Amino acid sequence: MDLTRRRLLWAGAALTTASVLTACGSGAGDQPAGSAGGGSAKPRKGGTLRVGALGRASAVTRDPHGVQSNESDYLIISLVYDALTVPGARPNTAPRLAASWEASADLRTWKFRIAKGAKFHDGSPVTAKDVVFSLKRLRATPAGASRLPGIEAKNITAEGTDTVVLVSDYANAELPLLTRLTTFVIPDGTSDKDIAKAPGTGPFKLDWFRDGNARLVRNDSWYGGAVHLDAIEVKIFESPQAMANALLAGQIDVASNAGAIAARTAKTRGDVQTVRRPNDMAMPIVMRTADGPFADARVREALRLAVDREAMVKQVLSGYGSVANDILGTGDPAYAKQIPQRARDLAKARQLLKEAGFDTSRTYELYTTEDISGLAESATLFATQVREAGVRIKVVKQESAVFWDKTWLKGDLYTTYWGTNDSVVFFASKTMVSGSAQNEAGWKDTAFDTAYQKAIGTADAARRTQLLQKMQQIEYDSSGYLLWGMADGVDLAAAKVHGLPTLPGYGRVQLEKAWLAS
Amino acid sequence: MAGQLIPDIGEPAALPAASAGSRPAPPVAARLAARAGLVVLVVLKRAALLATLLAVVFIGVALLPGDAASATSERGESAADLARRRARLGLDRPVLERFWDWMSGLPTGNLGTSAHGERVSSMLATAFPNTLVLSGTALVLTALLSLAFASGAALRPGGRLDRIVGGASTAVFAVPEFVVAVGLVLVLSLWTGWLPAVTLTDGDGTPASWTMLVLPVLALTIPQAGWNTRIARAALADEARAPHVEAAVLDGLPPHRVMLWHVLPGALPTIATGLATSSGVLLGGAVAVETIFNYPGVGAVLASAVADRDTPVIAGVTVLAGAAITVVLLAADLLRDLMTVGRR
Repeated sequence: MDLTRRRLLWAGAALTTASVLTACGSGAGDQPAGSAGGGSAKPRKGGTLRVGALGRASAVTRDPHGVQSNESDYLIISLVYDALTVPGARPNTAPRLAASWEASADLRTWKFRIAKGAKFHDGSPVTAKDVVFSLKRLRATPAGASRLPGIEAKNITAEGTDTVVLVSDYANAELPLLTRLTTFVIPDGTSDKDIAKAPGTGPFKLDWFRDGNARLVRNDSWYGGAVHLDAIEVKIFESPQAMANALLAGQIDVASNAGAIAARTAKTRGDVQTVRRPNDMAMPIVMRTADGPFADARVREALRLAVDREAMVKQVLSGYGSVANDILGTGDPAYAKQIPQRARDLAKARQLLKEAGFDTSRTYELYTTEDISGLAESATLFATQVREAGVRIKVVKQESAVFWDKTWLKGDLYTTYWGTNDSVVFFASKTMVSGSAQNEAGWKDTAFDTAYQKAIGTADAARRTQLLQKMQQIEYDSSGYLLWGMADGVDLAAAKVHGLPTLPGYGRVQLEKAWLAS
Repeated sequence: MAGQLIPDIGEPAALPAASAGSRPAPPVAARLAARAGLVVLVVLKRAALLATLLAVVFIGVALLPGDAASATSERGESAADLARRRARLGLDRPVLERFWDWMSGLPTGNLGTSAHGERVSSMLATAFPNTLVLSGTALVLTALLSLAFASGAALRPGGRLDRIVGGASTAVFAVPEFVVAVGLVLVLSLWTGWLPAVTLTDGDGTPASWTMLVLPVLALTIPQAGWNTRIARAALADEARAPHVEAAVLDGLPPHRVMLWHVLPGALPTIATGLATSSGVLLGGAVAVETIFNYPGVGAVLASAVADRDTPVIAGVTVLAGAAITVVLLAADLLRDLMTVGRR
């Protein structure tokens, strides 16, 4: 199965909504064909865009603060509702419902000012009370503590009618980045029962919703600028293959996140554009550092030297991706490009294994799932490659539910995947700082912890970048991750579609600048 | 098998109605009452079977690794969050207790709540009728095609048509539905552009156009038509050897008349039984075919519910599918009964 909940969650964890305000016009990146992502033509007003998005019928949810495991649901929600901030290219956080923000000197108190003229679809203005209600509601969800880390519900308050104050338990220079996480705003006092009917503030209004499919119409009084399309129809698809077929048959105009395999099929068709969004998905191999056979840093280094990264990208991702350097957060503007690219060196790998006294007579198990396309394939190819360095690995494919229950956070060697890749701090705080709740490799490094605490407590951007790069160097040297490459996000679109987003992750859902040529 | 459903219909000893009345009823009424009684008995038997099946569903899902709480959680949830979610979904209670709870809601049409907090009955409210339309149309088409091909072939045993039908029916039955489906999409949609490749739904949850039903129905029908043509052809051949048919032929009746009035009626019970078993296969095949055509039926709901360990949803689909298949099997048995009794 190509599509599962975790994929969506983690593609969505970032809620990397593309920035309407900064990303558009930033160019088409490396699209091989078409003008979907950019184009210089003057946008045409009107038309209905039919978008296919992946989702499962039984997992449909309408709650903007619920567990959104369907891309289709998230697409609908993020067009109807606005979060405080959205992902951008540079910087990686851009304004949305919050027009601006500022921090106190100690970086603990953050004030967000609501955009002027922001109104709900029923015409009532958005006030700080609505935002406070929504953030508290988000904080009260089961995963609330990780969605708004370091911010207690009592520390979310209103100041006047247009300012919301968040007080963090610790200094956090990257707090606005966290508000990209499902901070969708609904009117104050909305009950859970009425959640599906709650008016939003977004560029599109809900016309109808049925079993995961929806029709949205333009919000003419959106504060964020002109919206070109008359309407967007979102169609839910269980399989990427059916979605690609629908696009090829002309039944939909955009196949969102259709993937590399569909792109390969569509390649021969001149009337289909392929939009590649780099740094979309990380599929690192996790090597447990706390104990077990990979606890010795030399063994981990050896495996990083044994993998053939180009071959992985070419075979696992069908070339729709790029080689990575064992550092997570590859899309971060502060990503350490100066650290030399690790390349395959089997001789050195063997030598390191010998020095570490690694038992090469044993066969080690690498656990993986078929949660996302290419994940299990990456495990298999990796096992073949490291065999050349004398390491015997047997790939064990687990069913998703079993994997997350039994292997994740516990196993010695397993594959994982993350859909938020534009922030070094995101990974550091979630998976690498000692004691982080999702420390996948059980990694503890005091130098890394110190650098991280300093980085998020530093207001000066240049100094913070320095600290972020120091963190990345430590990560490169000794973390439990082997990140061989980054998968592109691949959308397919009909030739007439323009102005599609090119940001990774959930950047693909921001369709308010899209337009249709006549 | 449907064939064993009402094994001794027409045997007075087995009729509960015979002992029910003190006064002997007129023969026709007695037979009708007896048949009604049998139908009730069979329905009860089937219901008991379905209840057992549902218990198996509950226990089976409980035995799978992981549960709905962990399968629908987010990565950021702590063990305490998970425990709370588990309690909210009632997963901390013994499986038989949950089963009993769910069963006691069944008579009122309450199918419980999914792990995502949706009412199962509303999740299936459009999906199940959609699936019924799909597999029902396929069943009717299967019946028509197999009867037509088999009768055509049986008119001239060993003739050219007979050989072609024999070979083709075996060939198509050997091909799985999804292969047929993929082939149909390629040829009839992507290459020629004649038909829509997938099903898109309207605001009312049903397919936006009837043309979207054509490919999924064909994908389901073709393999089953192959199977049923073989059954029908064999049944017709058997019946053709019956003395009354030979008599009709010797009487000089035209072949198509013999086929329609003398051969076909005798073969119908077997043909109906074959079609009835196909109904189960059609519902099962709909799961695979729905995915390929993005058809908004229970297949998609069921597949993801299993991945989510979402017991109430799986049980809800089981009940509805079980009920539908029971109705078809019952109809086939009644038809068979009617035909055999009528011929005695």
